Amino acid sequence: MALTLRTAPRKLWQTLSSIKTGVLLIILVVIFSAAGTVILQRPMTDPDDMQRAYSPAMLRFLDAVGLTDVFHTRWFVALLILVSLSIIAASVQRFPNAWRFFSRPYKSPDENFRKALPTQAQIAIADEEEGLNAAERAFKHLGLKTERIVRTDSFSLFSERHRISEMAVYIVHASLLLIFTGFIVDSLYGWRGFLMLSPGTSSNQVETKDGVQRTIPFSIRCDGTGEETYADGTPKRWWSKLAVVDGGREVSSKEIVVNDPLVYHGLRFYQASYGRTGKLDRLVLDATPASGTKGAPQEISLGMNQAVALDANTSVQLVEFIPDFVVQDGRVYARSTDVVNPAVHMIVTSKNANGRKANSSVNVWLPPIEGIAENAASPYAFEPKDLKTGIFTGLQVSHEPGQWAVWAGVVLMAIGLTFVFYVIHTRYWVVPVVDAGGRSVLWIGGTANRNRDAFELSFKHVVEQIQKELKPELAASAPAQATSRTTIAGR
Amino acid sequence: MERAKVEQHPATGNTMVVLVGLGILFLLFIAFLNVVKSGNIFSEANLLYAALVFYAGAGALYLGFGVTGTEAYIKFASLMTWAGLLANTGAVAHRWYEAGHPPFASIYEMLLSFVWTLAALTLIAEKRYGVKVIGTVTMPVAITGVILMQLLPSEVRPLVPALQSTWLHVHVTLAMLAYAACALSFALAMMFLIQDKVKTEMFLAATSIFTVGIYAAVLTRFEKWGGLNVIAWDAQNKTEVFISRGVRLFVTIPDLGWLMLLVFAAVAAPLVLFILSRIKKNEGLLAVADRAVFISILLQALALVFFLLRVRGGQYPSLDADGLYATSLAASPFILSALVGGIFANLLYLLLLWRREDLERLLPDADALDRITYKTICIAFPLLTLMIAAGAYWANRAWGSYWNWDPKETWAAITWLVYAGYLHMRITRGWRGRRAAYFAILGFAVVMFTFFGVTYLLPGLHAYA
Repeated sequence: MALTLRTAPRKLWQTLSSIKTGVLLIILVVIFSAAGTVILQRPMTDPDDMQRAYSPAMLRFLDAVGLTDVFHTRWFVALLILVSLSIIAASVQRFPNAWRFFSRPYKSPDENFRKALPTQAQIAIADEEEGLNAAERAFKHLGLKTERIVRTDSFSLFSERHRISEMAVYIVHASLLLIFTGFIVDSLYGWRGFLMLSPGTSSNQVETKDGVQRTIPFSIRCDGTGEETYADGTPKRWWSKLAVVDGGREVSSKEIVVNDPLVYHGLRFYQASYGRTGKLDRLVLDATPASGTKGAPQEISLGMNQAVALDANTSVQLVEFIPDFVVQDGRVYARSTDVVNPAVHMIVTSKNANGRKANSSVNVWLPPIEGIAENAASPYAFEPKDLKTGIFTGLQVSHEPGQWAVWAGVVLMAIGLTFVFYVIHTRYWVVPVVDAGGRSVLWIGGTANRNRDAFELSFKHVVEQIQKELKPELAASAPAQATSRTTIAGR
Repeated sequence: MERAKVEQHPATGNTMVVLVGLGILFLLFIAFLNVVKSGNIFSEANLLYAALVFYAGAGALYLGFGVTGTEAYIKFASLMTWAGLLANTGAVAHRWYEAGHPPFASIYEMLLSFVWTLAALTLIAEKRYGVKVIGTVTMPVAITGVILMQLLPSEVRPLVPALQSTWLHVHVTLAMLAYAACALSFALAMMFLIQDKVKTEMFLAATSIFTVGIYAAVLTRFEKWGGLNVIAWDAQNKTEVFISRGVRLFVTIPDLGWLMLLVFAAVAAPLVLFILSRIKKNEGLLAVADRAVFISILLQALALVFFLLRVRGGQYPSLDADGLYATSLAASPFILSALVGGIFANLLYLLLLWRREDLERLLPDADALDRITYKTICIAFPLLTLMIAAGAYWANRAWGSYWNWDPKETWAAITWLVYAGYLHMRITRGWRGRRAAYFAILGFAVVMFTFFGVTYLLPGLHAYA
C-alpha cells in the first residue's frame, strides 16, 4: 500500500504504539546501557587510564561515536525520549477501550456471552424469585455486594469488586513517564558542584564538574566543622555547622552530617568530606631564655608570618611551615600536604644592646635541622606545645528541580504495581434462564482479570454457597445440578 | 534407541540416615569438647559451625536421595534444614547484637544473611509450594557460603559515615529478598523444563556450555607459560594488595594454568560429543558424553583441590612488581565460587540423569510450575523496583544525586527491564510454558551478572583492565 499523505501519519502512529516497537526500543536501551558499563566512560575515568586501555585509533572511534560518554550523548537521550513517546502512544491507543470497559460495567450478560464464558455453572431451581433470593443471601454470606439488574421480564444479579484494577497498568505507565520527566528536567536544568569551606569563612561560589565557578544567590558560612573517628582511625562522623546568609541576614542554620543535608531554596548541601588544608592555623610554643637568666617559660602563640615580642629587644616571627618535610641537598622540601612530619621555621630578631640599629637574626628550625638551623645561636630556646592546622569541610552542592517528579513517580509506581499484582477485578453474574429441557435454572458466571486459578476456587465456593442457600427450597424438587465448565487458563 | 542406563541402586532405607545422624553427632560432640574448654557455647562461630554441620547433613541426605532414590531421606533432610536454620538464626542474632546493626555491612555479614535466606526459602518452597527437592540445589550453595565465610575477615567493622543510614538496611534487605525471589524463579523454571519433558541431553548441553563458560572466564587469567594469575593478598591488613589507586597486584601461580586448560578440555568434551551426536544422529555418543561429564567432575574436583592447596600456601612472583607475594582464597572469591559452581551444576545434571523419573514424580506438574514461576516473578519484580528506588533515594541523601549511571545501578536497571519484559510477554502476548521459562532463566543470568559480573568482570577502576 503506497504511503500517501493521509496514510503516513496513521502508519507512523501505529508503528509507534505497537508493542514490537516498544520492545525493540527497550532492547536498544539495554544494549547501549550495557555498552556504557563495559566501555570506559570519560566522566568517571582518568584520561590516562582511558589512553592506557584503548589504542589511539579505537579511542578516536569511541569518542566520535559517543560511546565514551554514552549516557550524556544526544542520541541516547533521544532514545529515552522515543521510549517515553512509545509508552505514551501505546497507552493512548489502548486507553479508550480500557476506559469504556472501566466506565461502563457489563452488568447484564446476553445469551452469546453466557454461552462463551469459560467459568460458569448452572443450578436447577424451582422458582426464579426464590433462586435469586438464595443467590443474594449466598453472596452476602461471602461478603460480596450484589445489585439487581432489571431485564425485560425478570431481573438478574451482578456483583463485582475492584474495578480500578483495570486501570492499574495505566497507573504504572504514567508513573514511569513521571519518573522520565523528572529525570529529563534534571538532565537539562540540574547541576552539581563542590564547595570547600574552612571554619569562619563563607562563600557563594560553587565549583562545578567542568571547573566552572557558579554563583549562588546566597552565601553559606561555616561556623565549625569536625571529625570523630573510631579507635582504629576510620572516620565515624563528619559534621559541619552551617549557616545560610541571604541578603545580609542569617536565615537558617543547621549542623549537617553525611546522609543529612542542608536544604535551602532548592539547593542541597551535603557533607561529602573533611580534611586538613596543610596550612598552619596556630603554633603554640614555650619560649625560654637560653642564657640561663632566670625566667619562666613564656607561652606564645604564632600565626603564619606573625611576629611576637619576647622581650624589649627580641622578637620572633614565624616564616615557614612545612607539613611533611624532607631534607635534600641541604634544602628543606615538602613531601606532601599531609601533616605527617611538620617543621617550622622562625626568625628571632634581637636588637643590639648598645642601640646600634643593626639587628641580628637567627634562623630557628623546629625540629632542629642539621646544616640549616642556627638554634644554638638563638637567645631563646623554643619548645612546641601545640600545632593547629587548617581544616576544611567539603560540601557537595546539588540542584535537582526534577527530583520531586521522580519520587512522586516512584510512589505512584508502587501503588500501581500493588494494584496490578494484588488487586484483582472479579465479576459475578446470576441470571435465571430456561434451559434446553424447559426447566428453570440459575446460570452463574464469573471472571477475574488475574490469578485465574485462585478465582476458580472462589467461584466454586460461591456456587456451593448458593446451593446451600437453595437446599430448603429444593427439598421437594430435583437435586441440584451444577455443571462447571471451566478451563484453567493460567494467568 | 536405548541410552545406556546407569545402574539403579536398590533403596536401602534408613542406613544412610543413621550414618549421617551419627556423623553430625560426632562433629557436634568434638566441637562441644572444644567449646567446654573455651567456655562460651553460644558464640557466633559455634552457632555458625552448628549451622554448617546441619546444612551439610541436609545436603548429604538430599544428594543421597539423588543417588539411591529413597524418599525417606528427604524428610530427614528437611528436619536438618530446620535445625540448621535455627542455628543460623542464632548466629545472625548474635552478630546483630555484637555489631549494633543488622548484618549487612561487610561481605562476611552479607554471606551470613544470604545463607539464612537460602535456608528459609528452601523451607518455604517445601511447605508452601510443595517442591520438596529444592534442597538439592539450595543446601550445597548454603554450605559453600558458610565455608566461604570462614575465609573472610569477620571482625565487626564500625560503619563509615556513608553507611550510617536506615536506608542502607532498607536497600540491602530489599536487594536480598529480590535476588532470592529471582533465584527461586530460576530454580522453578528449570524444574518446569524437566516436567515439560525437555530431553535430558538438552540439559547436558546447557550444563556443558555453562561449565565451559566458567573455565573460559577462569582462563582469562592464564599466563603465557602456564601459570594462573590471582590477586595478591596482604595478610596483615587483610586486604588485597594494590600497586596504585584501584589497580590490584597480580601474582602468577605456576602450572595452575595448565591444569585449568586440561579441565577446560575435559568440560568441553561433553559439549563436543553432544554436537557430534546431533550431526551424526548417533545416540550412542550421548552415553559417552554422560561418562565424560562424570570424568570432568572428577577433574574439576582435582582442579579445585589444587587451587585450594596452591593458594593457601606459598609465595609467588609477580609480573608487575619485584619479590614474592602471598595470596589467599579471600583474594579470589570469584574463581573459588566459579569452580565450586561448575562442580555443583554438573552434579545436578547427574542427579537429573540418574533420577529423572523420581524427580518427575516428586515435582509438581508442568502447568503448576509455570504458574508458580510467574507468581514468584510477580513478587520479585515489585521488590526489584523498590530496591532500585531505595538505593536511588539513599544515594540522593548521601551524595546528592539519585542516578549516576554507575555500572551497578545501570545493570540493576537492565535487570528490571528484563523482568518487565517477561511480565509484558506473559500478560500482553500470552507467553507461557517454555518461552516464559527461558525468559525467566535469562532474567536470572542478568541478576547474576549484576551481582558478580559487575564487580569482577567489568573494566574500569575496580578491575584489571
